[in-house]
Amino acid sequence: MKNILEIRNLQTEFSTEQGAVQAVRGVSITLGEKEVLGIVGESGSGKSQTMFSVMGLLSANGKITSGEILLNGEDISPLAFTSEKEYEKRMEKLRGNDMAMIFQDPMTFLNPVLRIDTQLMEPILNHTNLSKEEARKQAIELMRKVGIPSPESRMKQYPHQFSGGMRQRIIIAMALACNPQVIIADEPTTALDVTIQAQVLDLISNLKHEINSSIIMITHDLGVVASICDRIAIMYGGKIVEVGTDEDIFYDPKHPYTIGLLSCVHNPEEESKELKPIPGSPPDLLDPPKGCPFVDRCEKAMKICKEQMPSVSVFSNTHECSCWLHHEMALKGGDVK
Amino acid sequence: MSEEILKVEDLKTYFDVTKGLLSKKQIVKAVDGVSFTIYKNETFGLVGESGCGKSTLGRTIVKIYDPTGGKIEYKQKDITKIKGAELKQFRKSVQMIFQDPYASLNSRMTVGEIIREPMEIHHIYDTSEERDNRVRELLNIVGLKADHIRRYPHEFSGGQRQRIGIARTLALNPDFIVCDEPISALDVSIQAQVINLLEKIQKEMGISYLFIAHDLSMVKHISDRIGVMYLGNLVEVGPSDDVYHNPLHPYTKALLSAVPVPDPKLAKSKKRIVLEGELPSPINPPSGCRFRTRCPNATERCAKERPGMVQVGQRQVACFLYEK
Repeated sequence: MKNILEIRNLQTEFSTEQGAVQAVRGVSITLGEKEVLGIVGESGSGKSQTMFSVMGLLSANGKITSGEILLNGEDISPLAFTSEKEYEKRMEKLRGNDMAMIFQDPMTFLNPVLRIDTQLMEPILNHTNLSKEEARKQAIELMRKVGIPSPESRMKQYPHQFSGGMRQRIIIAMALACNPQVIIADEPTTALDVTIQAQVLDLISNLKHEINSSIIMITHDLGVVASICDRIAIMYGGKIVEVGTDEDIFYDPKHPYTIGLLSCVHNPEEESKELKPIPGSPPDLLDPPKGCPFVDRCEKAMKICKEQMPSVSVFSNTHECSCWLHHEMALKGGDVK
Repeated sequence: MSEEILKVEDLKTYFDVTKGLLSKKQIVKAVDGVSFTIYKNETFGLVGESGCGKSTLGRTIVKIYDPTGGKIEYKQKDITKIKGAELKQFRKSVQMIFQDPYASLNSRMTVGEIIREPMEIHHIYDTSEERDNRVRELLNIVGLKADHIRRYPHEFSGGQRQRIGIARTLALNPDFIVCDEPISALDVSIQAQVINLLEKIQKEMGISYLFIAHDLSMVKHISDRIGVMYLGNLVEVGPSDDVYHNPLHPYTKALLSAVPVPDPKLAKSKKRIVLEGELPSPINPPSGCRFRTRCPNATERCAKERPGMVQVGQRQVACFLYEK
């Protein structure tokens, strides 16, 4: 499988009054062609900031301090450009055209004073040579594709005339407008009700077969990931702790955090069991732990976990995890140093 | 079943949302004729989508809102219209845990002051020392440290703040707590901590819960019985396992099929009943059965008459499909 997007050892920091918050601490991940990759983590795990780094959408106090972001082999991290201006120029070409983003809150993403047609035609007019009439036709086609009834008349309406689910469909239509290679969806269904969430998830999984884009789905909801993703990365404390296919992660989790996360959620199809919460709370990324970020909450923590970040253990060509428990020394039964 | 603690009969809560003096009167029927009973030591889960009236129902029961009609009985006593000293007495026994742990704690008060305040209002204990001791004890119960007493809410994480909120509700030794989406603002790994805490408290102190949530899998986990709400009406009530594994009402069926399951094989093969359209406006709800505009089984009769509750085994369901 060809890699569309490849992130190598990405590090992103935010300068705050208290010091530098190391939100992303060396993330490496690849996204294959037509693949749906889920990035799962709790708030503050760095999942959204990783993707904002890719899109060049970090807030003013955030910056990428090292790493590469390869889109079809071209490094698009700001570090690869000679000036800020050049980086912005390149990103403006890429955003909306090659990479698009779907945001969490459909209520705040659309401009309330512009009609839907204006907003939906904007990316098309900006990135293609189509005339206004052709762009309108394409926009209507897009609205039909995402399941908005009578698109011709609804085009002329304003965002407040649409419900939450419908607005999210419009945002999806905007993301699809220029057939991007990568679509990044940041918690696209979190703000929606369950039945509306089901509609949107159905839409995304149907679109998956129709369009040629690869999708990155950022979410904290394990149910959502299970229903839609091919491959899953689990993030914790600014690092990816485990990567695998959906079945690797759900049926054969290796990292204690992944295992903990799965036992915190109740699978309603099964009999009620006692939930096993993970004690404590996530690490402070102002002063991240030297070793494994999960060490303070891990019941299997060893001495070395506090001191050194574990290396990556490879279980199969799809399944990897960073944990000392799977280091060959630990597997031999000895305590790792 | 043991004795009743709360009984709600045909409860209605309407809000007047008329804009302007001369415009047509507009009424939101947030809760429109709901009846159910909660027994002692029981957890009753109330689920529904946003706008279905579940939070309004919870707030009407603790008397934050005045009901427009119907009757609320608490411990066999009609409390629908109580006022003054009686109301204060009632509030001592019934408490509420709120959804947003960032908004429900006063950021200018220390944790100690927050938890002590209800005891001061209701004159429990005579000296502030006794109260402080009780605060420390409560902090201990909810899994915080006694020396947190002098800290401010901003020094705590979301899960810890929710624990402070729980400690505050326990300060008065209530018999009944309304939990209004207590975990939906929290991370997954923290949600389980709070759920386990609520279960522990229930076991130790014999408290009954009304647990309001939109996350069906958590509700099923914690509840003994579940009520499903749609647009101000209760459409199905029954033991949680029954409702979950064999939903009767077409809305419950659709709602449950929409829940994403944390299991890729099941989730990808699961057939979802995708409901067409959106929730109608509660200002102008559909005639007859509220769900008929989105119901795959709707008939002409559903538009004309409003279905009453039908008893099916241990369950009650408001749908003509189950009438004999």
